[in-house]
Amino acid sequence: MIPFVAVVSLRGQESRTLRIWVPLILLWLVLVPLVLLLSPLIIIGGLACRVNPFRAFSVGWQILMALHDTEVEIDHRSAGVSICVF
Amino acid sequence: MNEHRRQVLQMLSEGKINTDEAERLIAALEEPSAGKPSENGSGSEAKARPKYLRVQVDSEDDGGREGPTKVNVRVPMQLLRAGVKLAGLIPAQALHRANDAIHEQGIPFDLTQIKPENLEELIDQLSDLSVDVDQKDRESKVKVKVFCE
Repeated sequence: MIPFVAVVSLRGQESRTLRIWVPLILLWLVLVPLVLLLSPLIIIGGLACRVNPFRAFSVGWQILMALHDTEVEIDHRSAGVSICVF
Repeated sequence: MNEHRRQVLQMLSEGKINTDEAERLIAALEEPSAGKPSENGSGSEAKARPKYLRVQVDSEDDGGREGPTKVNVRVPMQLLRAGVKLAGLIPAQALHRANDAIHEQGIPFDLTQIKPENLEELIDQLSDLSVDVDQKDRESKVKVKVFCE
């Protein structure tokens, strides 16, 4: 499933937490036409680097789909950062 | 006597099953995996496939200078599988150059021998992986846990 939202939480020294909801779906809506427009350049660039552009696209898509449910939390002293992808 | 065994004996006494069936049911109950829920509900495959790789690092600094650090990372296994496919995209020329650099360092390792299917097999075997590292010294205490869930 394609990730729709990423939640970034930042906790500062004063134990105040800033939670940012990033609507990834909007990002995909912007990126899809951009990728389509740039696809000839991407294909030419891939062939120049001897990378199969279709395979690269397939792997990129699989990585994007697999990002769902990824979670990273780092706390150091009283500060911390957390990223959850839904 | 546990509940399941009692039920089997009750079915036998009521004539719902014969002695052979009762014996088979009791033998199945005595198996170590019996009674645990399975993924497909058949009871034959008790072990479900893990979905995530979890890495936890817990560091306590007794000296108080660095402070405690906690890291908790959950990576979907699917992401690992997709990630290893990236290895298949590396052009042969780049692999040879990397091989040469590795050989110059005296490491007898051939990157061209790593195939994506081998890496996928490796990821499949990660389900049994469990790494626990406890390190303690005068000033700090570090715990690292890597497991699949």
